Amino acid sequence: MATIRKKKSLPGLLIGGFLFYMLLPIVATYIFSIATRWDRSILPEGLTLEWYKVAFADRWFLIVFKNSLVLSFSTVIASIVIIVPTAYWVHLRVPKARALLDLLSILPFAIPGVVLSLGLIRLYAKPPLMLARTPTMLVAAYVIFTMPFMYRPVVNSLKAVNIKVLTEAAQSLGSSWLRTMGQVILPNIMPGIISGGLLVFATIFGEFTIATFLVGARYKTFPMQLVYYTRRDGRIASAYSVISFTIAWVSSLIILWVAAWGAKRTTSGGPKKEKELKINSAGDQS
Amino acid sequence: MSYLVLTHLNKTYDGTTAVNDFSLQVEKGEFISLLGPSGCGKTTTLRMVAGFETPDSGSIHLDGEEITSIPPNHRGMGMVFQSYALFPNMTAWNNVAFGLRVAKIPTAKINNRVNELLDLVDLSDDGHKYAREMSGGQQQRVALARALAIEPRVLLLDEPLSALDAVVRVSLRHEIRRIQSALGITTIYVTHDQEEALSISDRVVVMRQAVIEQIGTPEEIYIQPQTRFVATFVGTINQFSGIMKDKQKGLVTGINGDWELSIAQISQGKIPEGAPITVFVRPEEIHVSKIDKSADYANSLQAVLKTITLLGPVTRLNLDFYGQSIIADIKTVDRHRFILNKPVELSFSREACRIMSDDDFPHDDD
Repeated sequence: MATIRKKKSLPGLLIGGFLFYMLLPIVATYIFSIATRWDRSILPEGLTLEWYKVAFADRWFLIVFKNSLVLSFSTVIASIVIIVPTAYWVHLRVPKARALLDLLSILPFAIPGVVLSLGLIRLYAKPPLMLARTPTMLVAAYVIFTMPFMYRPVVNSLKAVNIKVLTEAAQSLGSSWLRTMGQVILPNIMPGIISGGLLVFATIFGEFTIATFLVGARYKTFPMQLVYYTRRDGRIASAYSVISFTIAWVSSLIILWVAAWGAKRTTSGGPKKEKELKINSAGDQS
Repeated sequence: MSYLVLTHLNKTYDGTTAVNDFSLQVEKGEFISLLGPSGCGKTTTLRMVAGFETPDSGSIHLDGEEITSIPPNHRGMGMVFQSYALFPNMTAWNNVAFGLRVAKIPTAKINNRVNELLDLVDLSDDGHKYAREMSGGQQQRVALARALAIEPRVLLLDEPLSALDAVVRVSLRHEIRRIQSALGITTIYVTHDQEEALSISDRVVVMRQAVIEQIGTPEEIYIQPQTRFVATFVGTINQFSGIMKDKQKGLVTGINGDWELSIAQISQGKIPEGAPITVFVRPEEIHVSKIDKSADYANSLQAVLKTITLLGPVTRLNLDFYGQSIIADIKTVDRHRFILNKPVELSFSREACRIMSDDDFPHDDD
């Protein structure tokens, strides 16, 4: 009996341990951000919203918040404009290049941010393109850096709907490329674009390394300000972290919601032999 | 000049010939089927007409105008796909309206036309539904309405019924033919289902390995197959390998001399005496009876009944004839007259025998 009970409780224990391990730092950050002092006692000495007040009152808060939003949105838009048509065209017209694109799309994972930024600075510090240390260059680097996050969901969406046949159907009805893309393809891969966009957004909003190396203090971002406060007052830094977390979590919730919505939309279409399937399954039972 | 003229079309993919020297003339309002096993080039041919593929050589003329290199969105061809290809983000109504909106037709006219077409395919109450809310048969009817909406110059259907179950398949194919006749629209229909091709078409083009085997009316294809492939691919047929023994009397014997068949003079063609030939006989042309009961047929053979398979109104008998299997179809109501493993008599007329020489395959009749 005892051994059976032990076996049963093992998965629960593992899951509990995992959740504890994952959530502890986050919960601690949240509590730290509203604690008056929490370095001399086991529990916080008191609770306050003072650190949020300080964070919001900082004249840099709105600037870095705006800068990070601008960077994130610009990157999302640039990567949609570049990656979506490319993925569509490759899937429709150059299926042989799919493997190459798949490989390229995971390359950013293999290159550390530091290496990427130092390389870019060296290349773009000289004419003709003097882009080093500009936010434009940062966005360009971010598009590369976050390519897998946009490319994967878009490709999965393209695979889920039969874009080749849909494109041909639209063409046979007289539709131009632009109209086919806008009215037939985009609406059907929208769940992939949205979830890719949110992944990119959340990643860029919290990105520190590349931003620091490429533009540094010339264009202060939210994570830079957060790092600045970790050196001054951990409680204000915690308040910043909580704001950043919140943005990331809201993004994730939207992704999950969009994914569920997309799944509901695309589990349709394809040819089905409903009656035959029914007959077959009835036959199996007998 | 015919309405749609395909002249010497060729198409090769990576060294594999998909379509080889395909020529066809289609009259206005005609219903043509391209029939053949998968990979025979029928779909590639259709896609060249649609403009999705460009032929390596050859030309396509529609109503006197060359359209070989015109892009698909300027050809005015209505296309129906095997996978329906309804736009998942649009209702049935909007799917049908899509081509009309592209053509910038006034809204009031679009409304009338879409309602008219949904009515034509018997879906007037389902315009608000999305593809995922409809059965395969309904989806394909919407796709048909969508293709017809633009009043296409030619209607192209690429195996439109292959994904549907048997009952829907038969009813929808009659519906397609009914609508096609009513609108008088020139149609090319690709299928691998010979029954479908025979039942629906004005003319059938049988293809194999990128080339045309035979072009003819369904009756010509079934009754007078011109090649061994057409004879065996379209319908079921029995084959007797023998030798042309006596041209004068029209006698063919088995290779071992164990049987003799009498064939019609007209089907002998240019085959010399002594040449190896195959005699083809359709199962439904064989009259099956108990021994010594038949009389009026030129040919009669004795075989042993091996299996009886009920197919519906017809029952198929599988018989053993000198180690070779022969198929004969009888009326199901007559099936109790026969006993397994007992000898029966198979008789058929001279005219039921179609012969092809084994030497100059494919055999050209003159």
